[in-house]
Amino acid sequence: MTGTSAGGPTRSVTAETAPQAAAVARQRLAQPNGWWGMALFLCAEVTLFGTLLATYFYLDFGAHRWPPAGIKPPSVLLPLLATAGLISTTVPMLLAVRASRAGSRGRTAWLIGFALIIQCGYLAGQVLLFRHDLRQFSPQRTAYGSIYFTMLAAHHAHVLLGVLLDIGVLWHVAARKLSNYWLIAVRCVALYWHVVNVIAVLVVLTQLSPSL
Amino acid sequence: MATSITPRGQQHVDRLERIWAERPGLVGWVTTTDHKRIGIMYFFTALAFFGAGGVEALLIRTQLIGPNHHLLSPAAYDQVFTMHGITMIFLFVIPMTTGAFGNYLIPLMIGARDMAFPRMNALSYWIFLASGIFMYVALLSGHAPNAGWFDYVPLASKQYDPGTNIDFYGYGLIFNGIASTAASINFIVTIFKMRAPGLSLNRMPLFCFAFLAVSFALLFALPSLSVAALFLELDRQLGFHFYDPAQGGDPLLWQNLFWIFGHPEVYIIILPAFGIATSIIPTFVHRKMVFFPLVALAEILVAFLGFGVWLHHMFTVGFATLTTVYFAAASLIIVIPSAIQLFAWIATILTGKPEFKTPLLFIVGFIIYFMIGGLSGITLAAIPFDQQVHDSYYIVAHFHFVIFGAAVFPILGGMYFWFPKLTGRMYHEGVGKLSFWLTFLGTLVTFFPMHILGLLGMPRRNYTYPPDLGWSFLNALETIGSYVLAVGLVMIVANLLISYFRGAEAGNDPFGGDTLEWSTTSPPPPYNYAVIPTVTSAYPMWDKEDREADSRRLDRGEGLLERGHETPATTVQDAEWDEILSMPSHSVWPAVSALMLAGIFSMLLLHHYWIAFGFLVVGALVLFRWHVKGVTA
Repeated sequence: MTGTSAGGPTRSVTAETAPQAAAVARQRLAQPNGWWGMALFLCAEVTLFGTLLATYFYLDFGAHRWPPAGIKPPSVLLPLLATAGLISTTVPMLLAVRASRAGSRGRTAWLIGFALIIQCGYLAGQVLLFRHDLRQFSPQRTAYGSIYFTMLAAHHAHVLLGVLLDIGVLWHVAARKLSNYWLIAVRCVALYWHVVNVIAVLVVLTQLSPSL
Repeated sequence: MATSITPRGQQHVDRLERIWAERPGLVGWVTTTDHKRIGIMYFFTALAFFGAGGVEALLIRTQLIGPNHHLLSPAAYDQVFTMHGITMIFLFVIPMTTGAFGNYLIPLMIGARDMAFPRMNALSYWIFLASGIFMYVALLSGHAPNAGWFDYVPLASKQYDPGTNIDFYGYGLIFNGIASTAASINFIVTIFKMRAPGLSLNRMPLFCFAFLAVSFALLFALPSLSVAALFLELDRQLGFHFYDPAQGGDPLLWQNLFWIFGHPEVYIIILPAFGIATSIIPTFVHRKMVFFPLVALAEILVAFLGFGVWLHHMFTVGFATLTTVYFAAASLIIVIPSAIQLFAWIATILTGKPEFKTPLLFIVGFIIYFMIGGLSGITLAAIPFDQQVHDSYYIVAHFHFVIFGAAVFPILGGMYFWFPKLTGRMYHEGVGKLSFWLTFLGTLVTFFPMHILGLLGMPRRNYTYPPDLGWSFLNALETIGSYVLAVGLVMIVANLLISYFRGAEAGNDPFGGDTLEWSTTSPPPPYNYAVIPTVTSAYPMWDKEDREADSRRLDRGEGLLERGHETPATTVQDAEWDEILSMPSHSVWPAVSALMLAGIFSMLLLHHYWIAFGFLVVGALVLFRWHVKGVTA
């Protein structure tokens, strides 16, 4: 059995191949350190978005008109459709984790790649919408514009980071190996996306709140 | 234990020494991932900033020794008191407690060989150092932040403060916050996952509970500060309107965001002191802590409740009565967990056989000052009284008793307490006691009269005062006190410095301590423990059989983990042995990454946005390189 000293706990770092890593993952009693690190980092990020959203409503409740005169309430359809697309990637990411835990390197890579295409599409669409909005109103004219664009930019930056994480993991898993380390990485990236997807819903509902 | 190592045991020890050997010289320090060396670097850096903050305090007090003194110009005075606050909070207390004490001691106390993420630990240190230098460049170039440590807008807005002073503050705190966030994640995972097998949560030292609470508080409090500072810089640099009421913004948004961070921050500052106190007291009174589970819960409860009281900093803002009353009541609830701990410490001391050596003296001083600061805190929860003394010296008195008297005294006591562990030498007890009395009296004389001055109407942050207000005598007294305090603090440093070279040999466990760090050699080897320790209670050093079992296991070669930088990972609650981890070793990338971040923030400050972006790209490449290297190494 890979990496076990006689009768002792697993030497998980010695699990180099996908089946070995999967065996180690199944044997593990607690979540690995990397998973905890990502979960706690995401706590900080969720708090950050909590602060941004709270600021949005703080300014909203203090305003006479929201959005201020001269700015049209946001159109609903495209952002909601884009968000729905992004949320749908939860399924391939969940399946990718399951595939990695089953020791299937190819399926893991394929599923992450599939999710990555949708995520990139989402990001591209959102960047276009962002530029469109910038032509309509400016963050430098009103506090509404300031929080609107800051909140969206923060969210898109998180999507971009997720895309980069995907690419890093995908490259490694597809081209090299799915060792214990990279199996944990797949789980961390999936966790990241689950949380970013939830944030996406909260952000889009906040963004569209004047029109809902 | 070290004294009874057999030749066979010695072979294992030699092997571990080879595996865990660090690089020699300066390169070794820059590339180290050893939590103890990182802790020592944190210690000296934080101590240097303590010195700088102390000099600033003396400048303030010297200015105020009598009426109409002009040692500092009003503008310089603004910078000095602002930097005093920023330094003591962000560059001294937090890095000294979490960075130095936490880093050095937590892995030792839980029987681990390193932190959960050793290279991220190094990264935290280098970022902290760079952010500290960043903010001190501001002071040395005469552009230090000058709107107070809580930096209220509109005073801090571009309109009223057009220089780079506030930008150093905004960027500096975001920069510094990255280090603290990374450190708090590292501590939580270390405490959750890296405890020695058998060291279940209910056996974890109270010190670790305090640091766990602090780490969670930092993790959830810092984003609010970072966002507030981000808004501030967007307003100042790009003309956004978060805090501009003319365009729909709100200056009170800053106050809310700042204090949502700022009040938990107070407990972040003081909770490590609670942890240090609960380490020192059992050792010197020779009994276990009274109410162990209650104290552990109280430590966590303080951190939790700290998030629900921020508005009590803003009672004069003009919120609805119901709102302010809610926050006053919430603030009073904090009395409960604080009092649980206070009574537990006192009861432990009274029912034990106290030996009043220097570390315990500092803890007694801490208890007295925590009571004074706590009681004046209760008076401030009374809204009409708070409105009366708001922004007066009464506030300055209150928070200095809490964050100097209560938060720093245990740090000073802890410096004496763990000095033998770090160096293998004993400090000088007589000089230690004298330094305590000087520090104790100095603190009392410096800060107690401030209560009276505040009630007499002296406002905080005024650079001088006229002679006919009856403030002169007490101000002169405070200044004398501050110099006595400074002498006491210098004496502590001198005592430790001289003892490092001339102190008596201390051995592994000079005080009969109760936690695991006392079982290893002084100073501990890079791998901390040759044998992964056996733990069956919260006072492992007082379980003699376990320690003897450990040395027998060393002879037999059991529980050694000697195939690399190996350490156990255990389950979160029960500390069942789950897997054997192989930890990364020395790396230059953390320091390089911190340098890239410094480049980003410096270029942002100078408005070279494209160069800042260039640093970001290079930084990302560095992270990539670090990552790939780290995996294949």
